[in-house]
Amino acid sequence: MIRFLASRLAQTPLIVLAVYTVTFLLAWQLPGSAVINDEGRQPPPAVLDAMEARYNLDNSWVFYWQYLADATGVTAAADAIAGRERLGPVFDLGPSLRNEDWTVNEILADSLPVSIVLGLVAIAIALVIGVGAGVIGAIKPNSLADTLSLGVALVGISLPSFVVGTALLIIFPVWLGIGRVGGWGRFGDIILPAITLSLPFAAYIARLTRMGMIEALGSDYIRTARAKGLPERDVVLKHALKNAFLPVLSYLGPATAFAMTGSFVVEIVFKVPGVGQHFVAAVLNKDLFLIMGVVLVYSTMLVLFNLAVDACYAWVDPRIETG
Amino acid sequence: MTSMWKLLAPALLLVGLITVVIASDHPPAPAEFTYSENTSIITLDPQRISYTHDMRVSYCLFEGLLRWDNSTFVPRPAVASAWTVSDDGTTYTFHLRPDARWSNGDPVVAGDFVFAWRRAMLPDTACDYTALFFVIAGAEEFFDWRLEQLDQYSRRPSAERTEQAAADLWARTLERFDETVGLTAVDDHTLVVRLERPTAYFLDLVCFAIAQPVHPPTVERWASIDADTGRLLQRSDWTKPPRFVGNGPMVVTDWRFKRTFRMQRSETYRDQSAVGVESIAIVEIENPNTAVLAFQTGAVDWVTNADRVGYLADMLEQQRLGEHNDVHAFPTFGTYFWGFNCTDTLTGGRPNPFADARVRQAFALATNKRDITEKVRRLGEPPAGSLIPPGSIPGYTPPGGLPFDPARARALLEEAGWSDANGDGVPENSSGEPFPVVEMLCSTGSYHEDIALTLGAMWEAALGVRTRVVSKETKAYKDDQRRRDYMVSRGGWFGDYGDPLTFLNLSRTGDGNNDRGYSNPVFDAMLDRAELEPDPAQRFEILEHAERMIVEDECPILPLFQYVQFYLYDPDVLSGVSEHPRLVQYPYAMRINRAGAR
Repeated sequence: MIRFLASRLAQTPLIVLAVYTVTFLLAWQLPGSAVINDEGRQPPPAVLDAMEARYNLDNSWVFYWQYLADATGVTAAADAIAGRERLGPVFDLGPSLRNEDWTVNEILADSLPVSIVLGLVAIAIALVIGVGAGVIGAIKPNSLADTLSLGVALVGISLPSFVVGTALLIIFPVWLGIGRVGGWGRFGDIILPAITLSLPFAAYIARLTRMGMIEALGSDYIRTARAKGLPERDVVLKHALKNAFLPVLSYLGPATAFAMTGSFVVEIVFKVPGVGQHFVAAVLNKDLFLIMGVVLVYSTMLVLFNLAVDACYAWVDPRIETG
Repeated sequence: MTSMWKLLAPALLLVGLITVVIASDHPPAPAEFTYSENTSIITLDPQRISYTHDMRVSYCLFEGLLRWDNSTFVPRPAVASAWTVSDDGTTYTFHLRPDARWSNGDPVVAGDFVFAWRRAMLPDTACDYTALFFVIAGAEEFFDWRLEQLDQYSRRPSAERTEQAAADLWARTLERFDETVGLTAVDDHTLVVRLERPTAYFLDLVCFAIAQPVHPPTVERWASIDADTGRLLQRSDWTKPPRFVGNGPMVVTDWRFKRTFRMQRSETYRDQSAVGVESIAIVEIENPNTAVLAFQTGAVDWVTNADRVGYLADMLEQQRLGEHNDVHAFPTFGTYFWGFNCTDTLTGGRPNPFADARVRQAFALATNKRDITEKVRRLGEPPAGSLIPPGSIPGYTPPGGLPFDPARARALLEEAGWSDANGDGVPENSSGEPFPVVEMLCSTGSYHEDIALTLGAMWEAALGVRTRVVSKETKAYKDDQRRRDYMVSRGGWFGDYGDPLTFLNLSRTGDGNNDRGYSNPVFDAMLDRAELEPDPAQRFEILEHAERMIVEDECPILPLFQYVQFYLYDPDVLSGVSEHPRLVQYPYAMRINRAGAR
């Protein structure tokens, strides 16, 4: 187990470096200048050159390595060894070119927790809805309850979140007066965006659970459990579900990462101050530092998440070989 | 049972985590005055400011030597209580008030202005408005000198690029500045500014946001000299509360990226009677419809940018019928135009028909501006004949511009060598090549495409040319424009200071904003002559001739309409909004009367 974790951890920097390199190559090719305000004043060429030089934007090679060194803490370590005074953070993701008063570190520190919480709550909701609907469907296949839960799952997977989100906003805050539009900071503000974000995941989990449960309920050990007179509730929840849950668990890793990163539309509809919107705006503004910073942080998170899920998998089902 | 716990443990952990995060996130109490902007605040650093909405905030947080009366645009005393001008108009002496204070209690002294203006002149700070400081004697040379020094420094072998070497270069830079730039703090309360030449609008620049001071110790705490490049690196950490120090009527008390922005009355400000509200909150609402909803439900007192509301024309119509009185349309100090690429060849070496002034003039004459404002925009913008909005600069009368005259347009096009010889409706040149398809470049996501299609149809009908709209995402559009990879392209301009030059410099050879590549030595010479002309009336006459050249004779720019700014506010609740075309607003001086709400 430890050897498995160690080797996977050792791979992480390589994967992140590959993502960083590909993103850098693409972002550098974006048209236009990163430092100018497109709808504002264009400074004289000498000033423009000075602006680009300040951020190493005149030399892709220097930018690539300098940014990598700053972001990974190499620069900070070198400063510490040389005894130089340092103003920035250890892992310095640089300034945001568009939001001039903010560093990428500050922007991420402010918005990343929001995206993480929103993503986790959405996955938690998806688990409750998905597993519940899947189990009900599996106990009585082709019953009304099964058809209904499958139907809801189909709708959840097909409807885009801006439709669901807008519909929820109209139904709850506008018609029923529950919750509010465009707010963030109160306990209830997270519920509607989290439900919207959770639906596609819930639908997928429901289908995974249902399939797993139907297969498990038909197997020999379940028949044995019933034969020895266990109550049906225990048979379903303790014995069948445990096995049926494995495919769901392996889906949870990428799903959680996706829920945390893919909430852009939900963030816009509900005015949630998460990372997704900054990322899209960063690409439109060619805000190189923000693009690279978000990609670095997210890819690291994604790799670590998948690692955590693999570890969980081994923990829940000891039969799985991890060496 | 243990396996059940294994499954439940992460869920419980999660619930706990969420509760902690949400519980630690408290929304602040509402401010006395709340207004909305459609984009987030970019910077509070006066020297780096570029956007109008940042300037509004800046005028609350800082105060320059002088401040405009924003209904007349006459400069009034602010940090400086008085000033004198030498007879030759090149030396200004400002006398600073002894009672001006920074928000941490420090006195505001002349050296603070030297510090702030020097920052603006350094290539290390390099900001959008750096060039405006070049009216000060020696400023441009100083900028170039520093740039050259940094360039030389970066070429040194790395062993010679030490902290000591960088510090030495910085010390020499400061010396050089004191010796060569016409900016001197004679004592704490006297600032002498020597100009390159008499500059009629200098006092106007002094009122501008970028000329406001910064608190040197606060800014320097986040600055360092980079040994590798020799540059002065300046971090913006100081603009965030509680580190922020300003000298204006308000201080920023809370700023979280894209979430909250709060200002509070400053207790150290010298003129408390000028401050109309205790606290101001600025909310960012990108979606125009949401902004209208926020205003209608009372969450916002003032929407500063209602021009992108899809149903604005209908709101204006309802207002005309007396249904409400909260949409306010103010003509601004800005003009919407389309510009012609004036360079000789297009990308790929194709000859550019628009290099010929007669062709540009023909297209201008074939444009029915009234149709665009009345049928496409429907928002009551005044059609523009000139680039400079009439009445916006006291004493200056802009030219009338070209009328809509399709017959004359066709005649001019023929004169330029484009006539329809083969009768297919499309004009050809003498060697029989048809007029190339006119590529009209604009940016996506706004009304520009509508205007492009209308303009194209007008030109097709009047001149027989074929047109094609090329709309691109803003960065790509701007990039094409700068590389002159277009034929006709949308543009626009807002003046920065109260002088025709703020608009006319746009067509000067080599100007950073001359996206049309227009270059005419006669025009450049006229602007130079105007800069040297001491008599204001004479000067305006020269400038009027110069503008006539741009909008009537040579037509690199085709003005379409004067920009109009649309605000939403209830005039019974909010007062103190300026209606002057320059639309510089001082939110701190506005007043809120909730009892006035209907």
